[in-house]
Amino acid sequence: MVIKAEEPNQIRKKILDTETVGKEFNGVWVLRDIDFELNSGDIHTLVGENGAGKSTFIKILSGVHQPSSGRTKINGQYVSFENVRHSESLGIRTVHQEINLVPFFTVYQNIFIGEEEKKRFAGISITDDKSMRRKAKGVLEQLGIELDVNKPAHLLDASLERIVQIGKVLVHNPKVLIFDEPTTSLGEEERSRLLEIIKGLKTQGMGIIYITHNIEEVMEISDRVTVFKDGRKIATLPREEISPEKIVAMMLGHKTFNIYKRENFSRSEDVCLEVEELYTDKLKNMSFSLCKGEILGIAGVVGAGKSEIAKAIFGLDKIHRGKIHLFGENYAPSPQKALVKGIALVPEERQAQGLIPNFSVMKNITLTYLDVFSRSGVLDKEKEINVTNRYIDLMSIKTTGHSQFVKYLSGGNQQKVVLSRWLNGDFKIGIFDEPTKGIDVKAKEDIYALIDQLARKGKAILFLSSYLPELINLCDRILVVHRGMIAGEFDPKAENAKEMIMHAMLGWRAA
Amino acid sequence: MEGLATIRRIDKNFLRKYGTVLGAFVIFIVFSLTANNFFTTSNLFLLLRQMSMLTIISLGFTFVMAAGGFDMSIGNTTGLVNILFAIVLLNTNSFLLALSAALLTGMLIGVINGTLVARIGLPDFIGTFAVGSIVYGVKMLITKGNPIFFDKDVPEIFPFIGQGYVGPVPFPVILMFLLVALSVFLLTKTSLGRRIYAIGGNSVASLYAGINITRYRLITFVISGLSVSIAAVILTSRLGSAQPLAGEVFLLDAISVVFLSTTMFGEGEPTGSGTFVGALIISMLNNGLIMLNVPYYFQYITKGLVVIFAVVLSVLLGQKLRVKF
Repeated sequence: MVIKAEEPNQIRKKILDTETVGKEFNGVWVLRDIDFELNSGDIHTLVGENGAGKSTFIKILSGVHQPSSGRTKINGQYVSFENVRHSESLGIRTVHQEINLVPFFTVYQNIFIGEEEKKRFAGISITDDKSMRRKAKGVLEQLGIELDVNKPAHLLDASLERIVQIGKVLVHNPKVLIFDEPTTSLGEEERSRLLEIIKGLKTQGMGIIYITHNIEEVMEISDRVTVFKDGRKIATLPREEISPEKIVAMMLGHKTFNIYKRENFSRSEDVCLEVEELYTDKLKNMSFSLCKGEILGIAGVVGAGKSEIAKAIFGLDKIHRGKIHLFGENYAPSPQKALVKGIALVPEERQAQGLIPNFSVMKNITLTYLDVFSRSGVLDKEKEINVTNRYIDLMSIKTTGHSQFVKYLSGGNQQKVVLSRWLNGDFKIGIFDEPTKGIDVKAKEDIYALIDQLARKGKAILFLSSYLPELINLCDRILVVHRGMIAGEFDPKAENAKEMIMHAMLGWRAA
Repeated sequence: MEGLATIRRIDKNFLRKYGTVLGAFVIFIVFSLTANNFFTTSNLFLLLRQMSMLTIISLGFTFVMAAGGFDMSIGNTTGLVNILFAIVLLNTNSFLLALSAALLTGMLIGVINGTLVARIGLPDFIGTFAVGSIVYGVKMLITKGNPIFFDKDVPEIFPFIGQGYVGPVPFPVILMFLLVALSVFLLTKTSLGRRIYAIGGNSVASLYAGINITRYRLITFVISGLSVSIAAVILTSRLGSAQPLAGEVFLLDAISVVFLSTTMFGEGEPTGSGTFVGALIISMLNNGLIMLNVPYYFQYITKGLVVIFAVVLSVLLGQKLRVKF
């Protein structure tokens, strides 16, 4: 390898390494035996599916979680991070995925927020704005950006917001810089600008840990890549050895896909739902159709725009352009119309969007089709109880009874309650957004079988997921969404389907 | 040991559920023992009649807070309804027309509140506060701050509303109990009530469940406006005149009542019966402290302390209060 003249850090030294670091929550090991090394002047990329353990790992490094096993060394010294402050004081700083700037604060105020510089004036301590402005300016110069430090944050575009966020971290002279999917909300140009800046930082001798779901970024930026899977480290590869195919293969592993499999189904040509060139804030030129009795998978990583498709059809997001047809008729979405037309939506966020926590199992189940349980507005409690008991049986919901508050149920049982809410009505199109997220294996299998049954009974199913095995095993067709656009349609039974879908999900366009 | 722990747990549960009701009993007993004329038939009927207006206003407010909302306009609206009721009654000499005008005014203000807050999306506190301010201005514009007296004959039914009796029971008390029963029924036995509580419990999830949250939140404000007008008509009849500033005290008292209501029965949600007990507590304090010749400003201090005490107690007992602005 030729060392370029402008890279002054020929002697890369190890600044951070972990030995068998692991983390368990309530007896479940979500992270296990992670040996990880980071050199100064390196960009070390972490890849892996959702839930592979990347986030847990960086939360340990940044002091949010304390590891359940293993040890960490910084510059050869053993340390144990007590909290975020402690980790920060040792030079580890994280640029979080969410942008958290105060809109009406200026650039330099945001950069120093919470850690303002002080000076004494007439015996009292006041902020030293002059020094903060100067230092903020210095940091932005270090990033190669010309920006007025007195500009309020709400006037910045997305990439400048991100840069200010980096400045916020950089001003403390970190040794280790962690980036958690920094390009998610950025456009193409803004993205390459940010990647250049990050590459610039490594030449200044910082060690950089970079998390991404985008395989092109992995290829462009990494000096080393570590692949996580199911809470374990699969391998660490040096730059010379990485290729998209190899990384995807490692992420997938030798998956046996040993889960419920939908078989022997015949697809009808009876179109229920047709989406035509749909544009919303998040979606671009979205077109697809869904047939009766079909399970159409929508695959995509977190933030790719899956939920936004559901929201648009259910009337929760504003449609800027394009049309939706339901059973051949024009349809202008709203939640009430969706309900009348027979569209069911099981939302992604069970707690925030699905459940009324202070309601009983019964009240949660009967909520959507409440009119069925009432005569001129007066509730028929007996009918409510009967139907609820039937679904408790049918779905094997583990509960002390119909009157138990739903907040006391486990995640899987809560999800079954949300499903039952829709099942007791006669919907025609079911939209399931990550219906198996965060629930146990048995409940997952139950839900797969249920969705298969629903399709066999002639319901049209839109199955939104970022988990490849369930998409492959359950869906008749799979659309991949990437950055709000459809990146391709795939037949899950085709050879190499999983590799091709994973490539598309990660935004890699095969040559 | 284990038995003791169980008893303690039951105690805690019992306190969480019935602590506020117990508090009402304690207040009742303390006043009965200390104030000479408190525990007499005539005073108890007086107490009930006094509390009827506060209870009715608080019942409407209960619907708003059950849906997670807040209504700051109720005090000022009472006065405006007083005035409009009196003006229509004096000019038409028709009780029915005057009553309709009163109820329509309350409902209209409810629709305005609901439109601003539920449809346009202003924060409840700001939207209803601004409406209350406008209402205040309008009633001052109409009356220049002067009360309206009924200086000519009015239909006989008018004084009956606030001052009449059915047997030994004052009419407003009967009306109050009817409305308490109606509210309990609506909130617990109908799909309307279920949906209102669902919105208060998790408005986003309610939206995803297909509930028209805009419509139902608007309905709660209309119910609030309606209950304010009923109370205002009783008040006008009781006073025998329309006072533009009458009823302003209802805002603070109703807020206290519904907060007490949310602490009751361990649900963390206001209920119809809880609101009745809450109104009883606040009214007993008003009534009993006067009996004890306590200066009026101490009433305010006491009411404030009672509300803080009730809320702190329920939080200490592990209840999550759900109040949003």
